[in-house]
Amino acid sequence: MTNLQNNSQFFMENLPILIPLILLEFGLMIAAVIHVLHHPHYRFGNKILWLVIVVVFQIIGPVVYFVFGRGDQA
Amino acid sequence: MTWIMIKKEAREAWRSRRFLILLIVFLIFGLMNPLMAKLTPEIMKMSFGKQFSVPAPTSLDSWTQFYKNNSQIGIYLLAIIFGGTISGEVNRGTLVNLVTKGLPRRTVIVSKWLVITAEWLLVALVSFLVTWGYTAYYFPDQKSPHLWLAFLPLLLFGCSLTALIVLASTLARNSYEGLFMVIGYTIVLYLLSLFTDFKHYNPLSLINHNLTFLTKAGSLTPYWPALLVTGVLGALALLVANLKFARKQL
Repeated sequence: MTNLQNNSQFFMENLPILIPLILLEFGLMIAAVIHVLHHPHYRFGNKILWLVIVVVFQIIGPVVYFVFGRGDQA
Repeated sequence: MTWIMIKKEAREAWRSRRFLILLIVFLIFGLMNPLMAKLTPEIMKMSFGKQFSVPAPTSLDSWTQFYKNNSQIGIYLLAIIFGGTISGEVNRGTLVNLVTKGLPRRTVIVSKWLVITAEWLLVALVSFLVTWGYTAYYFPDQKSPHLWLAFLPLLLFGCSLTALIVLASTLARNSYEGLFMVIGYTIVLYLLSLFTDFKHYNPLSLINHNLTFLTKAGSLTPYWPALLVTGVLGALALLVANLKFARKQL
Protein backbone atom coordinates (compact mmCIF):
# COMPACT_ATOMS: atom_id res chain seq x y z
CA MET A 1 0.00 0.00 0.00
CA THR A 2 2.77 2.42 0.96
CA ASN A 3 4.45 1.49 -2.27
CA LEU A 4 1.37 2.50 -4.22
CA GLN A 5 1.14 5.80 -2.35
CA ASN A 6 4.80 6.47 -3.08
CA ASN A 7 4.20 5.81 -6.75
CA SER A 8 1.24 8.13 -7.05
CA GLN A 9 3.09 10.79 -5.09
CA PHE A 10 6.04 10.45 -7.45
CA PHE A 11 3.67 10.71 -10.39
CA MET A 12 2.03 13.89 -9.08
CA GLU A 13 5.38 15.43 -8.25
CA ASN A 14 6.63 14.96 -11.80
CA LEU A 15 3.43 15.96 -13.56
CA PRO A 16 5.04 19.17 -14.92
CA ILE A 17 7.45 16.99 -16.88
CA LEU A 18 5.16 14.10 -17.66
CA ILE A 19 2.30 16.07 -19.24
CA PRO A 20 4.37 17.77 -21.99
CA LEU A 21 6.41 14.59 -22.46
CA ILE A 22 3.33 12.43 -23.03
CA LEU A 23 1.74 15.09 -25.26
CA LEU A 24 4.85 15.31 -27.44
CA GLU A 25 5.25 11.55 -27.75
CA PHE A 26 1.61 11.06 -28.66
CA GLY A 27 1.70 14.02 -31.02
CA LEU A 28 4.65 12.53 -32.85
CA MET A 29 2.98 9.12 -32.96
CA ILE A 30 -0.35 10.43 -34.24
CA ALA A 31 1.34 12.61 -36.87
CA ALA A 32 3.23 9.54 -38.09
CA VAL A 33 0.11 7.35 -38.08
CA ILE A 34 -1.81 9.93 -40.13
CA HIS A 35 1.09 10.23 -42.56
CA VAL A 36 1.34 6.44 -42.94
CA LEU A 37 -2.39 6.18 -43.69
CA HIS A 38 -2.49 9.10 -46.15
CA HIS A 39 0.67 8.25 -48.12
CA PRO A 40 0.51 4.60 -49.14
CA HIS A 41 3.82 4.67 -51.06
CA TYR A 42 6.83 3.79 -48.95
CA ARG A 43 10.48 3.40 -49.82
CA PHE A 44 10.20 -0.13 -48.43
CA GLY A 45 7.83 -2.10 -46.22
CA ASN A 46 4.04 -1.88 -46.23
CA LYS A 47 1.30 -0.07 -44.37
CA ILE A 48 0.87 -2.63 -41.59
CA LEU A 49 4.62 -2.82 -40.91
CA TRP A 50 4.97 0.94 -40.60
CA LEU A 51 1.86 1.28 -38.43
CA VAL A 52 3.27 -1.30 -36.01
CA ILE A 53 6.72 0.34 -35.95
CA VAL A 54 5.31 3.81 -35.43
CA VAL A 55 2.94 2.78 -32.63
CA VAL A 56 5.16 0.29 -30.78
CA PHE A 57 8.48 2.13 -30.78
CA GLN A 58 7.94 5.47 -29.08
CA ILE A 59 10.01 8.37 -30.46
CA ILE A 60 12.32 6.12 -32.50
CA GLY A 61 9.52 4.62 -34.61
CA PRO A 62 8.11 7.89 -35.98
CA VAL A 63 11.61 9.30 -36.58
CA VAL A 64 12.69 6.20 -38.51
CA TYR A 65 9.47 6.36 -40.53
CA PHE A 66 9.83 10.03 -41.43
CA VAL A 67 13.51 9.69 -42.32
CA PHE A 68 13.68 6.31 -44.05
CA GLY A 69 10.18 5.02 -44.62
CA ARG A 70 8.16 7.65 -46.37
CA GLY A 71 8.12 7.88 -50.14
CA ASP A 72 9.44 10.84 -52.09
CA GLN A 73 6.10 12.32 -53.16
CA ALA A 74 4.83 14.96 -50.78
CA MET B 1 21.93 34.32 -54.67
CA THR B 2 22.94 32.86 -51.35
CA TRP B 3 19.82 34.28 -49.80
CA ILE B 4 17.58 32.59 -52.37
CA MET B 5 19.23 29.23 -51.74
CA ILE B 6 18.96 29.70 -47.99
CA LYS B 7 15.26 30.45 -48.35
CA LYS B 8 14.82 27.33 -50.49
CA GLU B 9 16.60 25.20 -47.88
CA ALA B 10 14.64 26.68 -44.99
CA ARG B 11 11.37 26.08 -46.85
CA GLU B 12 12.40 22.50 -47.53
CA ALA B 13 13.22 21.97 -43.86
CA TRP B 14 9.76 23.22 -42.97
CA ARG B 15 7.68 21.49 -45.66
CA SER B 16 9.38 18.11 -45.30
CA ARG B 17 8.61 18.41 -41.55
CA ARG B 18 12.31 17.69 -40.96
CA PHE B 19 12.72 20.64 -38.64
CA LEU B 20 9.55 19.82 -36.73
CA ILE B 21 10.71 16.25 -36.10
CA LEU B 22 14.11 17.45 -34.91
CA LEU B 23 12.47 20.00 -32.63
CA ILE B 24 10.04 17.49 -31.09
CA VAL B 25 12.77 14.91 -30.50
CA PHE B 26 15.11 17.43 -28.89
CA LEU B 27 12.23 18.76 -26.77
CA ILE B 28 11.59 15.20 -25.59
CA PHE B 29 15.31 14.86 -24.77
CA GLY B 30 15.18 18.11 -22.82
CA LEU B 31 12.25 16.84 -20.77
CA MET B 32 13.69 13.38 -20.21
CA ASN B 33 16.96 14.56 -18.66
CA PRO B 34 15.62 15.82 -15.31
CA LEU B 35 13.06 13.00 -15.25
CA MET B 36 15.74 10.32 -15.69
CA ALA B 37 17.81 11.98 -12.97
CA LYS B 38 14.82 11.67 -10.62
CA LEU B 39 13.88 8.16 -11.71
CA THR B 40 17.30 6.50 -11.48
CA PRO B 41 17.39 6.31 -7.64
CA GLU B 42 13.81 4.95 -7.63
CA ILE B 43 14.75 2.26 -10.12
CA MET B 44 17.80 1.34 -8.03
CA LYS B 45 15.56 1.04 -4.96
CA MET B 46 13.07 -1.13 -6.81
CA SER B 47 15.73 -3.50 -8.09
CA PHE B 48 17.98 -3.71 -5.02
CA GLY B 49 15.44 -3.32 -2.21
CA LYS B 50 14.58 -0.53 0.19
CA GLN B 51 17.70 -0.78 2.37
CA PHE B 52 19.90 0.01 -0.61
CA SER B 53 20.81 3.63 0.05
CA VAL B 54 21.16 5.88 -2.97
CA PRO B 55 22.27 9.49 -2.71
CA ALA B 56 19.52 11.94 -3.61
CA PRO B 57 19.79 13.16 -7.21
CA THR B 58 21.29 16.59 -7.83
CA SER B 59 21.39 19.00 -10.73
CA LEU B 60 24.60 17.24 -11.80
CA ASP B 61 22.68 14.03 -12.56
CA SER B 62 20.30 15.95 -14.76
CA TRP B 63 23.15 17.57 -16.72
CA THR B 64 24.93 14.21 -16.98
CA GLN B 65 21.83 12.92 -18.76
CA PHE B 66 21.76 15.99 -21.00
CA TYR B 67 25.32 15.60 -22.24
CA LYS B 68 24.99 11.83 -22.53
CA ASN B 69 21.86 12.14 -24.67
CA ASN B 70 23.38 14.81 -26.87
CA SER B 71 26.73 13.14 -27.43
CA GLN B 72 25.34 9.62 -27.87
CA ILE B 73 22.05 10.20 -29.69
CA GLY B 74 21.69 13.86 -30.62
CA ILE B 75 24.64 14.19 -32.98
CA TYR B 76 23.87 10.88 -34.71
CA LEU B 77 20.30 12.00 -35.18
CA LEU B 78 21.70 14.98 -37.09
CA ALA B 79 23.73 12.59 -39.23
CA ILE B 80 20.68 10.38 -39.85
CA ILE B 81 18.41 13.25 -40.84
CA PHE B 82 20.93 15.25 -42.88
CA GLY B 83 23.13 12.43 -44.19
CA GLY B 84 21.52 12.67 -47.63
CA THR B 85 21.18 16.41 -47.92
CA ILE B 86 23.32 16.69 -51.06
CA SER B 87 23.41 13.13 -52.39
CA GLY B 88 19.60 13.03 -52.26
CA GLU B 89 19.28 16.14 -54.42
CA VAL B 90 21.92 14.84 -56.83
CA ASN B 91 20.05 11.54 -57.17
CA ARG B 92 16.73 13.30 -57.74
CA GLY B 93 18.34 15.77 -60.14
CA THR B 94 16.76 18.75 -58.41
CA LEU B 95 19.97 20.81 -58.46
CA VAL B 96 20.48 20.62 -62.25
CA ASN B 97 18.04 23.44 -63.03
CA LEU B 98 19.41 25.76 -60.38
CA VAL B 99 23.06 25.27 -61.32
CA THR B 100 22.54 25.55 -65.09
CA LYS B 101 20.56 28.75 -64.53
CA GLY B 102 23.64 30.25 -62.89
CA LEU B 103 23.51 29.38 -59.20
CA PRO B 104 27.16 29.08 -58.09
CA ARG B 105 27.94 25.62 -56.80
CA ARG B 106 29.71 27.17 -53.84
CA THR B 107 26.41 28.72 -52.79
CA VAL B 108 24.74 25.31 -52.65
CA ILE B 109 27.29 23.96 -50.16
CA VAL B 110 27.46 27.09 -48.03
CA SER B 111 23.72 27.62 -47.76
CA LYS B 112 23.13 23.96 -46.95
CA TRP B 113 25.67 24.19 -44.16
CA LEU B 114 24.22 27.46 -42.87
CA VAL B 115 20.67 26.15 -42.72
CA ILE B 116 21.60 22.80 -41.16
CA THR B 117 23.75 24.57 -38.57
CA ALA B 118 20.98 27.04 -37.79
CA GLU B 119 18.55 24.15 -37.30
CA TRP B 120 21.01 22.39 -34.98
CA LEU B 121 21.72 25.52 -32.94
CA LEU B 122 18.02 26.17 -32.53
CA VAL B 123 16.99 22.68 -31.41
CA ALA B 124 20.05 22.28 -29.16
CA LEU B 125 19.27 25.61 -27.52
CA VAL B 126 15.62 24.67 -26.99
CA SER B 127 16.58 21.38 -25.40
CA PHE B 128 19.18 23.15 -23.24
CA LEU B 129 16.66 25.74 -22.03
CA VAL B 130 14.06 23.08 -21.21
CA THR B 131 16.58 21.02 -19.23
CA TRP B 132 17.81 24.17 -17.53
CA GLY B 133 14.30 25.23 -16.49
CA TYR B 134 13.27 21.87 -15.05
CA THR B 135 16.65 21.30 -13.42
CA ALA B 136 16.45 24.66 -11.68
CA TYR B 137 12.92 23.80 -10.54
CA TYR B 138 13.57 20.27 -9.26
CA PHE B 139 17.20 20.51 -8.12
CA PRO B 140 17.74 24.03 -6.78
CA ASP B 141 21.36 23.47 -5.74
CA GLN B 142 24.59 25.26 -6.58
CA LYS B 143 26.43 22.21 -7.90
CA SER B 144 26.46 23.16 -11.57
CA PRO B 145 27.57 26.79 -11.82
CA HIS B 146 29.06 27.11 -15.32
CA LEU B 147 26.09 26.20 -17.49
CA TRP B 148 27.00 28.15 -20.62
CA LEU B 149 30.68 27.30 -20.45
CA ALA B 150 29.76 23.62 -20.54
CA PHE B 151 27.18 24.08 -23.29
CA LEU B 152 29.17 26.20 -25.79
CA PRO B 153 31.75 23.45 -26.61
CA LEU B 154 28.85 21.15 -27.53
CA LEU B 155 27.45 23.82 -29.86
CA LEU B 156 30.84 24.31 -31.52
CA PHE B 157 31.28 20.57 -31.99
CA GLY B 158 27.83 20.44 -33.57
CA CYS B 159 28.65 23.27 -36.02
CA SER B 160 31.82 21.46 -37.04
CA LEU B 161 29.94 18.18 -37.37
CA THR B 162 27.31 19.72 -39.66
CA ALA B 163 30.16 20.80 -41.97
CA LEU B 164 31.36 17.22 -41.93
CA ILE B 165 27.86 15.94 -42.66
CA VAL B 166 27.72 18.24 -45.71
CA LEU B 167 31.10 16.89 -46.85
CA ALA B 168 30.04 13.28 -46.27
CA SER B 169 26.83 13.70 -48.23
CA THR B 170 28.80 15.34 -51.08
CA LEU B 171 31.13 12.35 -51.28
CA ALA B 172 28.44 9.74 -50.74
CA ARG B 173 26.11 8.25 -53.32
CA ASN B 174 23.16 8.00 -50.89
CA SER B 175 22.17 8.94 -47.36
CA TYR B 176 23.30 5.64 -45.84
CA GLU B 177 26.86 6.13 -47.09
CA GLY B 178 26.85 9.67 -45.73
CA LEU B 179 25.64 8.43 -42.36
CA PHE B 180 28.34 5.74 -42.23
CA MET B 181 31.06 8.26 -43.07
CA VAL B 182 29.99 10.48 -40.17
CA ILE B 183 29.88 7.47 -37.86
CA GLY B 184 33.34 6.50 -39.09
CA TYR B 185 34.58 10.00 -38.24
CA THR B 186 33.30 9.74 -34.67
CA ILE B 187 34.79 6.24 -34.34
CA VAL B 188 38.19 7.65 -35.31
CA LEU B 189 37.76 10.39 -32.72
CA TYR B 190 36.83 7.81 -30.08
CA LEU B 191 39.90 5.73 -30.93
CA LEU B 192 42.06 8.86 -30.64
CA SER B 193 40.50 9.64 -27.28
CA LEU B 194 42.08 6.42 -25.97
CA PHE B 195 45.36 8.35 -26.01
CA THR B 196 44.65 10.49 -22.99
CA ASP B 197 47.75 12.61 -23.67
CA PHE B 198 45.92 14.16 -26.60
CA LYS B 199 42.68 14.87 -24.79
CA HIS B 200 43.30 18.62 -24.94
CA TYR B 201 43.48 18.35 -28.75
CA ASN B 202 40.66 15.91 -29.42
CA PRO B 203 37.41 17.52 -30.62
CA LEU B 204 35.55 14.74 -28.86
CA SER B 205 36.60 16.22 -25.50
CA LEU B 206 34.20 19.06 -26.24
CA ILE B 207 31.21 16.73 -25.91
CA ASN B 208 32.60 14.22 -23.40
CA HIS B 209 34.17 16.37 -20.69
CA ASN B 210 31.27 18.79 -20.27
CA LEU B 211 30.68 17.87 -16.65
CA THR B 212 34.18 19.04 -15.78
CA PHE B 213 33.54 22.30 -17.61
CA LEU B 214 30.25 22.56 -15.75
CA THR B 215 31.64 22.15 -12.25
CA LYS B 216 35.17 23.58 -12.23
CA ALA B 217 35.83 27.21 -13.05
CA GLY B 218 38.43 27.74 -15.76
CA SER B 219 38.55 24.06 -16.70
CA LEU B 220 37.77 24.85 -20.33
CA THR B 221 40.93 26.94 -20.79
CA PRO B 222 43.38 24.02 -21.22
CA TYR B 223 41.10 22.68 -23.96
CA TRP B 224 41.63 25.63 -26.31
CA PRO B 225 43.57 23.45 -28.80
CA ALA B 226 40.54 21.17 -29.06
CA LEU B 227 38.32 24.18 -29.77
CA LEU B 228 40.77 25.30 -32.45
CA VAL B 229 41.07 21.82 -34.00
CA THR B 230 37.28 21.49 -34.09
CA GLY B 231 36.89 24.83 -35.84
CA VAL B 232 39.66 24.10 -38.34
CA LEU B 233 38.26 20.62 -39.10
CA GLY B 234 34.85 22.15 -39.77
CA ALA B 235 36.32 24.79 -42.09
CA LEU B 236 38.41 22.17 -43.88
CA ALA B 237 35.39 19.94 -44.33
CA LEU B 238 33.50 22.82 -45.98
CA LEU B 239 36.48 23.60 -48.22
CA VAL B 240 36.88 20.00 -49.39
CA ALA B 241 33.12 19.73 -49.88
CA ASN B 242 33.30 22.79 -52.16
CA LEU B 243 36.18 21.35 -54.18
CA LYS B 244 34.51 17.96 -54.56
CA PHE B 245 31.12 19.40 -55.39
CA ALA B 246 32.65 21.65 -58.08
CA ARG B 247 33.56 18.52 -60.07
CA LYS B 248 30.57 16.41 -59.22
CA GLN B 249 28.29 15.16 -61.98
CA LEU B 250 24.83 16.45 -61.11
